[in-house]
Amino acid sequence: MSGRGGGRGGGPSRGGAPSGGHAGDKKKRESILNLQTYVDQSIRVKFMGGREVTGILKGYDQLMNLVMDEVVEEYENGSMPSRELGLVVLRGPNVVLISPTDGSAEIENPFN
Amino acid sequence: MLPLALLTAAQGKPMLVELKNGVTFNGHLVECDNFMNVTLREVYQTSADGEKFWKMKEMFVKGNMIKYFRIADSILDTAMEEQERARQSGRSRGGGRGGRGGPPSRGARGGGPGRGGPPGGGRGGGPGRGGPGGGRGGPGGRGRGAAR
Repeated sequence: MSGRGGGRGGGPSRGGAPSGGHAGDKKKRESILNLQTYVDQSIRVKFMGGREVTGILKGYDQLMNLVMDEVVEEYENGSMPSRELGLVVLRGPNVVLISPTDGSAEIENPFN
Repeated sequence: MLPLALLTAAQGKPMLVELKNGVTFNGHLVECDNFMNVTLREVYQTSADGEKFWKMKEMFVKGNMIKYFRIADSILDTAMEEQERARQSGRSRGGGRGGRGGPPSRGARGGGPGRGGPPGGGRGGGPGRGGPGGGRGGPGGRGRGAAR
């Protein structure tokens, strides 16, 4: 199921990995973000309104609707307890930010 | 200077992005698109209150959530040069921005009266053509011929 999700997500936006290079020659604009690179990886997604989720990306489409598994939802300033949502479909229009969890961490002020 | 032209010229350069909610990101611009969606690399995120910091290897931000970009002054110069170059190459192809709008309208206006002439002549010629039962103006010509 997860494999199908990923394949569908990749299909419309870039015609799958093999034909991805040819799609670039056409007029159709490719997204500047290739979500295929994050499939089956842990990512963090922020939403309008301050909620954010972390989980494993399973699929996506060109509107940036996402399918994610093992999702944990948190509130930006920690004012609400985190919730475990499991497998979810996330609405693209509400997405604000996408970043891989790998290589990101809270740090001390780097501007001092 | 167009905003998107400046942003495009800033690709690969360090910049600051502030979102509507006050969160800021310092990083190198990787790519941007016409919606001002951007991808950044080596990003330092600062919370809206300026108290907390995060580091991220890469990230994507939707353009509609961005309040502004802060970029180095030097990028303006490179963007101006690129714009100038684009304008020059555009002119050599005969496709300037405003330049194209002028000639067609003048030509159309000039063509109007000239084209207006022939219809008058055409009317005169109509009956004549109608006489022979011209294949061209079939209905009109036949109608007139029948009235006579």
